Amino acid sequence: MKTKRLTELALLSAIALTIFMVEQKIPNPIPIPGVKLGLANIVTVYALYRYRPKEVLLLVSTRVILGAVFGGNLMALLYSAAGSLLCLAGMIPLHRLIPERMLWVSSILGAVLHNIGQIIVAVMVTKSIGMLLYFPFLLVSGCCAGAFTGLCAQFLLQRNPYIAAYLRSH
Amino acid sequence: MKRNRLWMLLCAGLLLAGVIGCLWVARLSGGEIVEIVQNGTVLYTLDLARTENQIIEVSYQGRTNTVQILDGRICVQAAECPDQTCVHMGYLSDSGLPIACLPNRLVIQFADTELDGATN
Repeated sequence: MKTKRLTELALLSAIALTIFMVEQKIPNPIPIPGVKLGLANIVTVYALYRYRPKEVLLLVSTRVILGAVFGGNLMALLYSAAGSLLCLAGMIPLHRLIPERMLWVSSILGAVLHNIGQIIVAVMVTKSIGMLLYFPFLLVSGCCAGAFTGLCAQFLLQRNPYIAAYLRSH
Repeated sequence: MKRNRLWMLLCAGLLLAGVIGCLWVARLSGGEIVEIVQNGTVLYTLDLARTENQIIEVSYQGRTNTVQILDGRICVQAAECPDQTCVHMGYLSDSGLPIACLPNRLVIQFADTELDGATN
């Protein structure tokens, strides 16, 4: 990996981690486990359309692991890791099918996949099928949050032709 | 162009499924029997209508959740976990949605939700 590439990825990881930490400090108005805006995924979706899958995987795992360590919530690592991995596994093929101007769609699908991963781990950890009752709520929140983060990333890509062109040429 | 519309329809379908699912869960009848489950084991089975007000402490790996039963309702009063989601969830409502503390692997749910279904 070229040094420049590495630096860009490190910068993106730092941005994602900062957003993640700030979001964690905002009180969650909806007290359902797993429901959150996931603003850090703006960076993930952005990177997915600008970097290679391997690099995105690196970026996301860095953010998830460091986020759990800095956030002091190592318990959440399992959930976010399962969610992120399933999300990436789905989104890497999806982002080839879905054009950039429909980025918000792939963001929604990614968010829903993330929630599916989370709920599977939640059922496995608590060994309680009742946790599945959360799934519809996660589905709705995933659609909303995914659309929001997706649109943010889309505007970022489209409104900033200079940066986009710069990154593509390097 | 046509494919774009298909993707949008898929998203709309997911959202619709979620909303319908939420409504379905909200219609589930609660029942009276409540289970406190930790790590897959049922620790307590309580008949809320007949249980007097009390405080139950449940520990998992040294972290304690304080479960309060007050006037036939149950909630988590305090939790030694980072996110405090279970405390914010308040009382176990009449809907079937369980209270869960994922870090401490604690679930408080109606024992007969699944059996009752959406009968009322």
